[in-house]
Amino acid sequence: MAEHTIRSRQRTFGRYSVLLFGAVVMIGPFIWMVVASLKTDTDIQRIPPGLLPNPVTGANYTRVVDTFPFWRFMANSIGVSLASTLLQLILATTAAYCFARIEFRGRNGLFGLYLATMMIPQQVVIVPLFIEMRNLHLINTYAGLLLPTIVSSFGTFLMRQAFLALPKELDEAAFVDGAGHLRVFFRILLPLTGPALATFAVFAFMASWNAFLWPLVITSGSQSHMTLPVGLAQLQGRFSTNWNVVMAGSVMSIAPIVAFYAFTQRWVIRSVAFTGTKG
Amino acid sequence: MTKTKNLRTRRSLVGLAAAAALLLGACGSDDKTDTANSGSPDTTASSGEDAAGGDKVTLTYFTFSAAPDHLADLDTIITAFESENPSIHIEVQTAAYADYFTSLQTQVAGDAAPDTFELNYENFVTYARGGALLDLSPYVTDGSIDPARYFPLALDGFTESGTQYGLPATFSDVVLIYNKTLFDAAGLDYPTADWTWADEQAAADALTDPAAGVFGNYQPVSFHEFYKALAQTGGSFFGPDGKASFNDAKGVEAATWLTHKPGTTMPTLADIGGTPDYDTALFKSGKLAMWHNGIWQFTGLNETGIDYDIVVDPGNTTKASAVFMNAAVASKGTSHPVEAAKWIAFLTGSPTTVETRLASSWELPAVNDEAAFATYLTSGAPANRQAVFDSLDNVALPPVLERQQEMQDIVANALESVLTGGVDVQTALDNAAAEVNALLD
Amino acid sequence: MVGVSGWRKAGVIIVFLSPSLLALLAFSIGPMIGTGWVSLHEWNLIRPARFIGLDNFRELWHDENFHRALRNTLYYLVGYIPLVTAGGLGLALLLNTRVKGVALFRAFYFLPVVTSWVVVALLWKWLLNPKDGLVNWMLGLVGIDGPGWWTSQTWAMPSVILASAWKDLGFVMVILLAGMQTIPETLYEAAMIDGAGAWRRLRSITLPLLTPSLFFVLVISLINGFQVFDQVWVMTDGGPAGSSTVVVQQIVKNTFDYGRAGYASAQSVVLFVIILLVTAIQMRLQKKWVFYG
Repeated sequence: MAEHTIRSRQRTFGRYSVLLFGAVVMIGPFIWMVVASLKTDTDIQRIPPGLLPNPVTGANYTRVVDTFPFWRFMANSIGVSLASTLLQLILATTAAYCFARIEFRGRNGLFGLYLATMMIPQQVVIVPLFIEMRNLHLINTYAGLLLPTIVSSFGTFLMRQAFLALPKELDEAAFVDGAGHLRVFFRILLPLTGPALATFAVFAFMASWNAFLWPLVITSGSQSHMTLPVGLAQLQGRFSTNWNVVMAGSVMSIAPIVAFYAFTQRWVIRSVAFTGTKG
Repeated sequence: MTKTKNLRTRRSLVGLAAAAALLLGACGSDDKTDTANSGSPDTTASSGEDAAGGDKVTLTYFTFSAAPDHLADLDTIITAFESENPSIHIEVQTAAYADYFTSLQTQVAGDAAPDTFELNYENFVTYARGGALLDLSPYVTDGSIDPARYFPLALDGFTESGTQYGLPATFSDVVLIYNKTLFDAAGLDYPTADWTWADEQAAADALTDPAAGVFGNYQPVSFHEFYKALAQTGGSFFGPDGKASFNDAKGVEAATWLTHKPGTTMPTLADIGGTPDYDTALFKSGKLAMWHNGIWQFTGLNETGIDYDIVVDPGNTTKASAVFMNAAVASKGTSHPVEAAKWIAFLTGSPTTVETRLASSWELPAVNDEAAFATYLTSGAPANRQAVFDSLDNVALPPVLERQQEMQDIVANALESVLTGGVDVQTALDNAAAEVNALLD
Repeated sequence: MVGVSGWRKAGVIIVFLSPSLLALLAFSIGPMIGTGWVSLHEWNLIRPARFIGLDNFRELWHDENFHRALRNTLYYLVGYIPLVTAGGLGLALLLNTRVKGVALFRAFYFLPVVTSWVVVALLWKWLLNPKDGLVNWMLGLVGIDGPGWWTSQTWAMPSVILASAWKDLGFVMVILLAGMQTIPETLYEAAMIDGAGAWRRLRSITLPLLTPSLFFVLVISLINGFQVFDQVWVMTDGGPAGSSTVVVQQIVKNTFDYGRAGYASAQSVVLFVIILLVTAIQMRLQKKWVFYG
């Protein structure tokens, strides 16, 4: 009995040291970013570079805010990302339910169409898309920023897999009880996809938050609609760049995503175990 | 329990999104470039709508050279222009150089080009030939534009088939920047205007100290340095038959001059590639003796207090310097051509512009104004600012080709394969010449 | 008969599917068709496009740069997919506990996913610096002469692969963690009562029930992997000497640098067909190994 405990304690210790080493490696770039963001212009250009900032300065954070309308861009990013995430969640879960639970002709082909839209690089599609937006008079608008992002094939696919993983018995029991699709979707299946939903929300938010190419192009004529990545890109000069300022901007840009991720993690690992068909 | 938690999630998510929507709505309504509910219905992205009861015209100006360091300077110029022209308002759009042409090309492709924008010499031809630019001749005739204000060479650079499509806004050139302290410590004479490659090599050898991490010289192994080195040794990129001739003996000489440096008197690729702007950092740390770079570095160098000076780029058999020029142009489809012409004339030639640019070292205005430059020559480090103008006596113009960027990449790859693939210079250049000739068809 | 049929079913499909489908058609499918149309033209985005039929495709057939880009992309996939899937799975298994502090670990492992490639590329170029990078230093300790990594034409692609797999570990981990939550505890309890050890439980319960998520990871990683771009652009710029060029890099260069949007569109069409085929094959094969509830 004692031997078993010692071995399991050793295993835990071993497991944790591996994890810790890995975690240190993983946060390495973030630490490096923060250190760089606290360096002065002279310090960041020192060869060989110093490990710690000397002197430490918080001025770069103010410089980021002064170079472009930082708070406006930040507000745009928050608004657009939240709106996009919510719309993506709604559209993807409803579509995924159809693909997973309703039989209809051409279902697989239609789903294939969703997947197909992920198979062409964004960089080449933005030109026809921009022209289309132009014809719809939606350039330099929030609608133009949002609309191409609201359908997520990635999310539809993810939620489809999540629904497929749930046993059909759940649906059948509900149908037998006289429920319709709406009830099965909202009250039975959707609540059980919490982890997948939370995961999707994180990726949707992250993709929207970090999106650069489309916002660059669709808001180029209107400073007031620009998002944070577009603003941060302007910190890079043509012949030389103040990397300490760029890193300060990046740190400020990562914070909301990490916050969002932390916020959603509660729903990824559920505290109550799923106990099968006992609805 | 899970169900209620998820319901709460949905409610809070809905709440968040509602807040977001409200925020967006509030922001949208006070935005002055939005007309009614949607974007601009005009052919350009500028607002064609005039404010109720006024004659105000808004022009957009898209630029890559203002952000991040010179936004205030551009503002100064705009304020001066707007006070002289109260009915015109200039709206600035900026993008980093790396993203500028992606954005610009997409806008042009979508018929939504900015009213006025910036172009550099290499890209100008494509836009001019493609019919995207406003013909400026009517505005020369009516006096808005004064051709005599500009350097003839610069003005010519922005014509196409004899028609003026752009006004030269700035020029800058590449010189040899050297660290006086390092030269003094080694007891060597400073570089002079008569220096040749041999002189530079000798000094670099003497100044390189690997133990201390000090390097003798730094010259980027790039297309731009290659065509310059080629000119400096009397070679030419294309021969009289129009075919690539840079793989002849002179080309080999130029390429060898460039590629033998990394790892000897210059840091290795591993050092350079691992840190962004490595050469700038190296020079500013006082560990680089001679640096082939442009005059745009002066402001940054002056902030560090390093004791440096400049000299015209050493040639081999002749002198040749690389010169870069930017232009201000107007879009062909702009709804306000008269105002656009006025703006770009002011932006490129007004006394305010000249003063502002010189004061903040924001590149040099391409104007024919000896008096203005007289102050530039004595306004601080480096002492030998005359070299900036002396470099203009022998300009190495880049070869111009329809498939310009592809040619640049071919040459850059050839040079890189010498450095990293163990290919000898002659073979690399021969292959590159064959590829470039294929582009000519 | 179980379920709903007829008009009610049609109603549900219309309400649930059409918003998504309409937006898809308008903002994704439409522009894709536009790209297909552009691929039949010669266009530099500035002057009007010129119709040239299938000439772009004919040129692609002989384009050595494009072939090399395709080879490099395949090379990338062969290296990246196993690494990131195995690594992500391992992480998910390790972190699928409710011990205090595990949430912090999960956040740490997710951090590289949200960090931009500009930063990650700099970090890896430093790690893989042939002269004094950490990796070559460690290799030196065991007597191996480290390669040139991103400065070498042979080792540039592996450098990109390593950096990419590392950065995306958190992505795979998060997806597999979510998938693990739907596996009923009761199955594990029953197995433990029957005396099954950890390895047995992994093989017979976790892995089979995780196959829907694994399938997702595989399909998405392949679709995204074929379109690898950011890391190549930032880490090696397709070099040295074009040795690490990939298809999307060719596409971007052709569209925005070379003024050949038509040619780039043709390259996209070819890439699209390849990805479509690979995904279709995966969809077919899914019956063989994916276990749905």
